[in-house]
Amino acid sequence: MKIELLKSRVWMAALWSGILLLLGGGRADASTLLFTNALVHTVANGILTNGAVLVESNVITLVFRGASAGTPPPAIPPGTVWIDVQGRHLYPGLISADSALGLTEIDAVRATQDSTEVGEFTPEVESWIAVNPDSELLPVARANGIGYFEPSPEGDVVAGQSALLALAGWTWEQMIVKKPAALHIFWPDQSLNITPKDRLANPAKWKAFDEQDQDRRNKIRSLEDFFDDARAYIRTEDFGALRAGRASEKIPAWEAMRPYLKGELPVVVHANELRQIQAAALWAATNHLRVVIAGGRDAWRAASLLASHKIPVLYEHIFTLPPGDTDAYDVQFRAPEVLHRAGVCVGFATGRGGFGATMSRNLPYLAAQAVAFGLPEEEAIKGVTLYPARMLGVQSRVGSIEAGKEATLFICDGNILDIRAKVTRFWIAGEEVSLASRHTRLYERYQARPPRAGRGF
Amino acid sequence: MTMLHQPLPKLLFALLAGTCGFLMGTSAGDLAPPGFRPHPAGLHALAGGRVVVRPGQILEAGTVLIRDGLIEAVGTNVDIPAGARVWDMTSNTVYAGFIESYLVLDSTNPPVSTGDSMPIGRGSLTAGGWRFFGAPGDRSDPGRAGPGSALGKINPEARVADNYSPKEKNLSALREQGFTTAVVAPCRGILRGTSALIALTEENPNQAILKPGVFQHIAFEPQDDGSFPSSLMGVIAAVRQTFLDADHYALDRADFEKHSAARRRPEYDPGLTALAAATGKRMPFVVEPGSALMNDRAVRLARELDFNLILISCGQEWRRPDLARVSGAAFIVPVNFPSLPKLPDEADWDQISLDQLRTWDWAPENPALLRELKLEVALTTYGLGEKKEFRKNLRLALDRGLSEEDALAGLTIVPARLCGVEKQLGSIEAGKIANLVIVQGRSYFDPESKVRAVWIDGKIHACPPEPSKPASATKSTASAAPTNATVSLAATNGASNAGLPMKKDKKGDDLREAQRIRVAHSPQEGRGAITNPPALLIRHATIWTGGPAGVLTNAELFVAGGKILAAGSPATPPTNTLILDATGWHITAGIIDCHSHSAILGNVNEMSLPSTAMVRIRDVVNSETPNLHQQLAGGVTAANLLHGSANPIDGQNCVIKLRDGNSPEDLVFSNAPAGIKFALGENPKQSNWGDHVTSRFPQTRMGVQTFIANRFTAARHYLQDWEAYRSTGGLIPRRDLELEAIGEIIQGRRLIHSHSYRQDEILMLLRLMEGFGVRVGTLQHGLEAYKIADEISAHGAGVSTFSDWWAYKFEVYDAIPYNGSLAAQRGVTVSFNSDSSDLARRLYLEAAKAVKYGGTPEAKALNFVTLNPAKQLHIDAFVGSLEPGKDADFAVWSKSPLDSGTVCLQTWIDGRQYFDRALEAGRTARLQAERKDLIAKARKIARLAGGSDDAGNDGGKAFFRSSLEHEFDGRERHCLDQEDQ
Repeated sequence: MKIELLKSRVWMAALWSGILLLLGGGRADASTLLFTNALVHTVANGILTNGAVLVESNVITLVFRGASAGTPPPAIPPGTVWIDVQGRHLYPGLISADSALGLTEIDAVRATQDSTEVGEFTPEVESWIAVNPDSELLPVARANGIGYFEPSPEGDVVAGQSALLALAGWTWEQMIVKKPAALHIFWPDQSLNITPKDRLANPAKWKAFDEQDQDRRNKIRSLEDFFDDARAYIRTEDFGALRAGRASEKIPAWEAMRPYLKGELPVVVHANELRQIQAAALWAATNHLRVVIAGGRDAWRAASLLASHKIPVLYEHIFTLPPGDTDAYDVQFRAPEVLHRAGVCVGFATGRGGFGATMSRNLPYLAAQAVAFGLPEEEAIKGVTLYPARMLGVQSRVGSIEAGKEATLFICDGNILDIRAKVTRFWIAGEEVSLASRHTRLYERYQARPPRAGRGF
Repeated sequence: MTMLHQPLPKLLFALLAGTCGFLMGTSAGDLAPPGFRPHPAGLHALAGGRVVVRPGQILEAGTVLIRDGLIEAVGTNVDIPAGARVWDMTSNTVYAGFIESYLVLDSTNPPVSTGDSMPIGRGSLTAGGWRFFGAPGDRSDPGRAGPGSALGKINPEARVADNYSPKEKNLSALREQGFTTAVVAPCRGILRGTSALIALTEENPNQAILKPGVFQHIAFEPQDDGSFPSSLMGVIAAVRQTFLDADHYALDRADFEKHSAARRRPEYDPGLTALAAATGKRMPFVVEPGSALMNDRAVRLARELDFNLILISCGQEWRRPDLARVSGAAFIVPVNFPSLPKLPDEADWDQISLDQLRTWDWAPENPALLRELKLEVALTTYGLGEKKEFRKNLRLALDRGLSEEDALAGLTIVPARLCGVEKQLGSIEAGKIANLVIVQGRSYFDPESKVRAVWIDGKIHACPPEPSKPASATKSTASAAPTNATVSLAATNGASNAGLPMKKDKKGDDLREAQRIRVAHSPQEGRGAITNPPALLIRHATIWTGGPAGVLTNAELFVAGGKILAAGSPATPPTNTLILDATGWHITAGIIDCHSHSAILGNVNEMSLPSTAMVRIRDVVNSETPNLHQQLAGGVTAANLLHGSANPIDGQNCVIKLRDGNSPEDLVFSNAPAGIKFALGENPKQSNWGDHVTSRFPQTRMGVQTFIANRFTAARHYLQDWEAYRSTGGLIPRRDLELEAIGEIIQGRRLIHSHSYRQDEILMLLRLMEGFGVRVGTLQHGLEAYKIADEISAHGAGVSTFSDWWAYKFEVYDAIPYNGSLAAQRGVTVSFNSDSSDLARRLYLEAAKAVKYGGTPEAKALNFVTLNPAKQLHIDAFVGSLEPGKDADFAVWSKSPLDSGTVCLQTWIDGRQYFDRALEAGRTARLQAERKDLIAKARKIARLAGGSDDAGNDGGKAFFRSSLEHEFDGRERHCLDQEDQ
């Protein structure tokens, strides 16, 4: 494994294991942790062999390399809990972006669905308040290293806003890392319905191509109008407030648009087809919006456009079937590498819907498939940590093992991209969390079932 | 014109017949009652024309003499009797009257459509009364009120001749194309009834009908009205059962004649009576299979059920000319070629698949291809929205290689022979019926030569003069469906469009030239075995034997004759051995997917009845799906194709090897024993089909047991009936394909693969089956197997599960990824399956999850996707591990198959290589280049034709009618749990 040069925030240090050094600094409280003898995947600054990480008050304060003579060891507060990682891997908590975690429990049971709302323009919808902190899906995801998730709303066009939540906490309020984090838009479908009229489930709904063409143009115009109207509202509001010295009546939908129009927060555009992606990229550039493409099935075909506008892609189609009959069998396995080579920042997500939520724990294996088909391994790890953090504007707090970031990290007995590897311990924001879940409980319960003498066939 | 345009009322005819003797054929009949126009004399001489006596035999300046509706003489020296009306045929050509082989009236049905993807949860799915179905439904099959089959779609008793009444609008359009007679075919249902050969006149139907019974008709047309059969495989099952019933019905009635005092009378079934009269090759069956692969099924069915077969071409025999060739059948060939759509935006071309373009480009060549394959071809206007498109499209077919002689034969002597009227029709010979076509100029095949008239039964039917241009334009616009107008080029092109290929201008010539050259390749290209060495030696490999030898490093694998001769031990290779240096590579047995729906034509569920044991996946194997290649690229060599899980007792499965490029029958794993799908829990009790679907039995897990027990008891009775017959004789019992299949389970000749989740339902099935002396083959999914692993192990069922799926429905809330490991540790044979065309591509990585969850050792974990599924399917004597004597089915990997970074490099089946990653870039590039060339051709033709070649004004409907074989390309297929919502 390659070890990159350590940057300024990471101190080189020598450590004698078992010896505490007190060189100034305050008393360590119970939450002061020192991870030693770890293979630290800093993500931001490469991999440290024999690395160490100091956590104080839920925050990483020091990342350094042990057993390197000649450098003075750093200050370790008294009372620090030492955790010997025994040479195993230490990763930052993974981020499950664009997820239905917390919003869905059982896909086929409608009563347990809270991810999709009705209506075309509902930017004021907030996803995080519907997250069920006791969902059985959350501990299952966490058990494989997922530290954060972004429950995102689904709808017709402008669906609503998401937040970033930690996979630990008693209430959704406590779980929140950032709210709102992003606005979710589902780009109008640009493909024609080519099903012959007599093959439609409802032939009365058949439309001629020209009519469909008009419809799709209208839908995009309607989206653009919505943004123009929002912009106008905000200008009037700001100007009006200044002039009259009073706030006029607030309109929730327009108010919700404010941070996105100002480019403060990202707009996640769900788009899979080439034309959707191209149109969304140009629209973002024209309107000075911070856009992330989610889904991104055909994004590799627009790689240079996306690169030139610095639009990242949250790729959700590594495991769907190639759409065209002239596509290579591995076209989607290779897509992240194609995007990366063109200079596009690629993150991974398990995809929308209930099935994606139950499969959140397999997030690293999406990235692993891209590695098997050419993506550099560091990029794959970033694609499930630092890159989604950047897309959601939380890179200063999460996504890597760096001083100043939330102490969300886990120990893994192998490479997290390797399915055979297991997460053995996990801390979220400095607090160790349980890896038990509905699955381990049932496993243990039935493992302990006394053997039953066969009532033979 | 002297003919009557209105058919006379029958009563009047009867009156005339009574008073005047015979109406026709005698001079007395020529005397019409006062007030009617007198009949013309029946003696005509058509003189001086070019007479095409039969294909290839032409008389320049010949004469045809007609007397009383028959041809009396033909030749160059025919004496014209006095009293003959002489028709100067100079600069005209005379052909024998054309025979339309397949005329469907009173129906706007498109040709049998190949798709039947019915949305889940529609309507009540219960059909009542069908005899191989036991439970009552809440309503009877809506298709029928009177006696006959319990299935509305089974109507062999229908006779076109019984209800035929000529309508001018149907007939004149055909006469204008030169047709004088037509086989009018029934058009409703699957077994449709009997067609009639009629003269295309508006006369009294008693006169118009030449032959009241010509063919029996079958169409493989699933209809999604919720009643059985609603799937393509259900259609085949229904046909098969009905034929068996017809045979038995005849025996039953004969038995009753003999013993009427000693036994109950048989039911009266007019359908079976009619069918029995046609079987045993007494009447040919015309089958419309709707797709290239189903042609082959029709051929096999004809062999199985012993009937003479004529096929309606689906227009896509080019997909698999090999299957058409071996069919040896006569084809009735439509010329309804798809035309290019007009797309609103250039970028919309992106949506057009290579297969759609190939279908468009191949279509006009298909008739020529069939002739090249030495098959008999009759032509038909069937499927054309406008009959006047016939000659234009025929010209396209001629330009693409169909000879004029073959085309003429396809309109005359071939259909005459197929209809059994070759002594009366088909050529211009003395004694034949005076049906003639008069074409201006020298050839019918020049679309500019107008058909001036046809003669039918010795009477002339002149064709109307060419309408003036403005009228034509108006008509054309009006005829395009209003909603269609923007799509259809017909509206914009107006009259000039109709004559596209006839244009004499430069543009027209260019267009014709562009259309003449096929750009599309055969879909067979680049498929099939890449290499087939007589012997193969792989050296320096890490070999996961799957057997007791475990994992061998730096080992050798020797393959010859499709079999593994040695694994792990050095061999002395013969001189012609292909040697593969596999340094750094891993070799495993080919992956076996124990639960797949990937290569199935049509719906994977026959979801109408609670027991569909008579339905067979083998009838609908799709050899053409790209899934095969995609899964080969994931090391998969065999798959268990399963019916869906809609019913407690589902259809029969089919185990295939992924020998991509071969025909459906050649994919079949012939050594695999028979099996059947069962399903328990939410799916068969219709929990997620929609809140209104509540009327089919069963609706609970209690009912699932009750239902299965009922069918097994019925099957026992059935077996006893046969046993009694074998020992004591008497009337042979009726074969019941549902109970026969269930009987085979009881006899231990058919494996149960039961979809199941919860421990309670699994235990129920084990105990229920034990009561019938049956050991369950596999519990498919079996996600709670870990809770009752000991019971399953003691029973001896296998568990074929998901590695880590859970919580997608309520009954899988307790699914855990430790299931496989835990069940295996307690002695159960466990496999991991895909149930997904995507997941099947990476089952090797699924195996790694058994290592992660529950700590199954790596070699054993790999067996979850190789040896264990082979054991579960009872094919482990042939495949599943790399041991001497087994089939050489294996995959080559860049790293350990359980390493997330591994890539499948090669896949071999029977010692032949079917996948090579090194060739993939070239393969893709060739397909993309072909698509690019086809789009260039399409654009050129659209430009030359002024927007598109859409003369058929169907707005690209045919173009976008995806073929059955590619209906589900790029789409996931599941058993019901994961349908798109």
